[in-house]
Amino acid sequence: MLRVNSLSKSFDKGKSFALKDVSFSLKEGDVYAIVGESGSGKTTLIRLIAGLETPDNGTIEINGKQVSSIHKIVSPEKRNIGFVFQEYALFPHLKLVENVMYGISKMKNKEQRANEVLELVGLLDLKDRYPHQLSGGQQQRVALARALAPSPSLLILDEPFSNLDAMLKAQLRNEVFDIVKKAGVTAIFVTHDTQDALSVADEILILQNGKLVQKDAAANLYSKPKSVYVASLFGSTIQLSKEIQSAFECPLKTDCCHAIRNENISINDECDYVTHATVLKKTFLGSDTQLLLRLDNGEHLTVVTKHNQIDERITIGFNSKDVLEFRE
Amino acid sequence: MMKEAGDNKIFSFKNRLLRLRRDSNRWSLITLLVVFLIALPVLTIIFELFDGPGESWMHIVKNLLGQYVSNTVFLLIACSVMVLILGVTASWLVARYEFPFRKQLEWLLILPLAIPSYIVAYAYAGILDYGGSLELIQRYLGMEFTRIDIMNRFGLAFVLSISLFPYVYVSTRAFFLNSANNLLEASRMLGVGEIRSFFKLVLPLSRPAIIAGMILVLMEVLNDYGAAYYFGVNTFTTGIFRSWFSLEEPETAIYLSALLLLLVFALILFEKWQRRKIQYANESKKNERIYRKTTSKGKQFLIFCLVITPVIFGFFIPVAQLLYWAFLTYPSVFEYDFILLSMQTFGIAFLTATVTVILATLLIFAAKWNRISIIKSISRLGVLGYAIPGAVVAIGVMIPILALDRWLMDLVYKISGSPGGFIIHGTLFALVYAYAVRFLAVAYNPIESTALKVSNSIPDASKTLGVGNFKTFFKIEYPLIKTGLLSAFILVFVDVLKELPLTLILKPFQVNTLAVKAFEYASDERVMEAAIPSLFIIFTAAFPVIFLNKLLVKK
Repeated sequence: MLRVNSLSKSFDKGKSFALKDVSFSLKEGDVYAIVGESGSGKTTLIRLIAGLETPDNGTIEINGKQVSSIHKIVSPEKRNIGFVFQEYALFPHLKLVENVMYGISKMKNKEQRANEVLELVGLLDLKDRYPHQLSGGQQQRVALARALAPSPSLLILDEPFSNLDAMLKAQLRNEVFDIVKKAGVTAIFVTHDTQDALSVADEILILQNGKLVQKDAAANLYSKPKSVYVASLFGSTIQLSKEIQSAFECPLKTDCCHAIRNENISINDECDYVTHATVLKKTFLGSDTQLLLRLDNGEHLTVVTKHNQIDERITIGFNSKDVLEFRE
Repeated sequence: MMKEAGDNKIFSFKNRLLRLRRDSNRWSLITLLVVFLIALPVLTIIFELFDGPGESWMHIVKNLLGQYVSNTVFLLIACSVMVLILGVTASWLVARYEFPFRKQLEWLLILPLAIPSYIVAYAYAGILDYGGSLELIQRYLGMEFTRIDIMNRFGLAFVLSISLFPYVYVSTRAFFLNSANNLLEASRMLGVGEIRSFFKLVLPLSRPAIIAGMILVLMEVLNDYGAAYYFGVNTFTTGIFRSWFSLEEPETAIYLSALLLLLVFALILFEKWQRRKIQYANESKKNERIYRKTTSKGKQFLIFCLVITPVIFGFFIPVAQLLYWAFLTYPSVFEYDFILLSMQTFGIAFLTATVTVILATLLIFAAKWNRISIIKSISRLGVLGYAIPGAVVAIGVMIPILALDRWLMDLVYKISGSPGGFIIHGTLFALVYAYAVRFLAVAYNPIESTALKVSNSIPDASKTLGVGNFKTFFKIEYPLIKTGLLSAFILVFVDVLKELPLTLILKPFQVNTLAVKAFEYASDERVMEAAIPSLFIIFTAAFPVIFLNKLLVKK
């Protein structure tokens, strides 16, 4: 339902690109997460889709209709996209119900519809309050109700949980996406937190330095990351350099890059590849212990383990099926 | 290498043009139109230079230009020094020390801005003249009368400085209150004393704020006509008036205006240059408690005297003199005509403030809704009108309007066969237009600063909910920036009341304002009668000066 083709945007007339040659398409009804560090271009991407910025190159199609190209731009108010802003952007001088009715003023049963979506987010009782009288989580649900009221063809959420504390976050994350799923709307949300993406998205788009590096379902991203960067987003990884490979005596292809996830390194000798190591330093991290090791060929390595009884000399190893392979 | 070739293609000339066409909308056009209207007077002056100077130009260059230059430069330097001393001392003491009546003095120090410089000039001339208040007091005390002659450039520098120093006071006080506190505490902790910290740390750091205030003072010095004329000091502005009215040589007035503009642009460039790298942003937290020093009773009294002195000279003495004159003259001045005149003045100020606030709002929002970044930058040029002396704006407005009128007269003649008179020239239109050019920045700043407080995502949210720019403004932004619009309105209103040179040149024949009336009385050797219109201006202007202070304190 959304098709983006070689989209590029530069804020300094081509010296650097906030977004470079990004292409992808999304299916009706699914939930997508855009993951990337700050400065990776994720906010630029959704603002371009919503029409709040103008691209320097490329096209955007929504439901087969081109809304953005080098010849023509459809303004944001004509795109029928719901947008939940990071800081919620509720209109401070309007009551909740007025906020929600704002986008449907031409609808016949606007009050009924407003009540419907407020019911959906569970805030019907508070409809005559003003935004400043609500908690952060409530404000967010109002923003969601307001964006859903006009029945948008696409819903975009910008960093929806970044303003909430960790406790509230997990609970609200599920609540919000239950609502989104119930509404049956295609949704894109932006996050820098991989956990958010893994727990609710059908598919995840990974942006790095303005480029789309991988778009895949969560399980595939974990098992078949296309780059070290993608792999590192889902937990710490250890690059298998030539020296480390020789320590473990594992013959790997030379035209590829390899890495192993930290959790796949185990302290025993029942693995495909093993080596002996001396523990130089132990750092207590609560449930985990961080070890600084010197392998027998002199290489240094840092691993994190669940074990807390660690000898001076240990044997570590990993299995060949867990080795991640990248062509770079 | 492939990728770079792609970049070049995205930013190829053809693609840039395509995007320019795609991104241009009616708001781009409106922004350019407003900027053009504001820039038109300056463009006119520059354009008219090519027609050559008038007959008396050589005479002026030989006999008067030296005087204009030396007097103007003298005033600029003398006023810089004086406002620096007055403004910085006052703001430093008020921001750092606790002493009796500090809170009251904080806003009293701004009050001199309520009195236009030419009115301060009338008051002091009256006080120091033969038979003036000073002589009366000295006689009463049984002293010899020692006359101080103020009607020269030294006196003019004093009058301008004492009425304009609050610009420096306001801009530096904001800095001292916001940023200087932490720095000073750090400096004191490192064992550096208060006075050394001030000169080593605070003064260099506050330089941008001080100079920003000083540039405003210097713009006003260049703008002044009333005081210089009354004191008989020849400056660029009086020269422009002489060429326009006495010599009736627009070409010469234009040449002088161009020279004055050159001076103004030099000042603006200097201001930009001195701020070039300095970004000591005020990073201090809001609502931070300010700790003021308390000193001994004796020192507190000394500080109190230091702080109240400029208020006495800049406000109380002139106002006392005016009140005395008003008491003597009210039977002859305060008549039906005067009430009519006041109504007329307030009407013009109301109309101008409305037009200017609308134009400023249009400029700010049209620039925002336009999608071409270069036009956004161009929109900032709209605020330069405030730097251009009123006399220059007036002449720059007069010339295109006369040309338009001539064209309209020809048209009327062609259609009806009978010759008609001026259509626009000599109407309120020209006056209000010129005011709007000069005061657009006055309205622009408070509106922009309140608009900046509204997060961009709020109007963006409105747009994603299907509401266009224009409607979003009325439904969302207007309710949120109302206070900014109101303060913009009041500030322009007051500036119109005080304005003299521009009004003198452009006012319709049958229309008068309080300022012009005061000027006419003073010029007719009836300066006592100027007191009542002057007091009307002062008391109307004093209210928003205090209001403005509240806004600044909140910031």
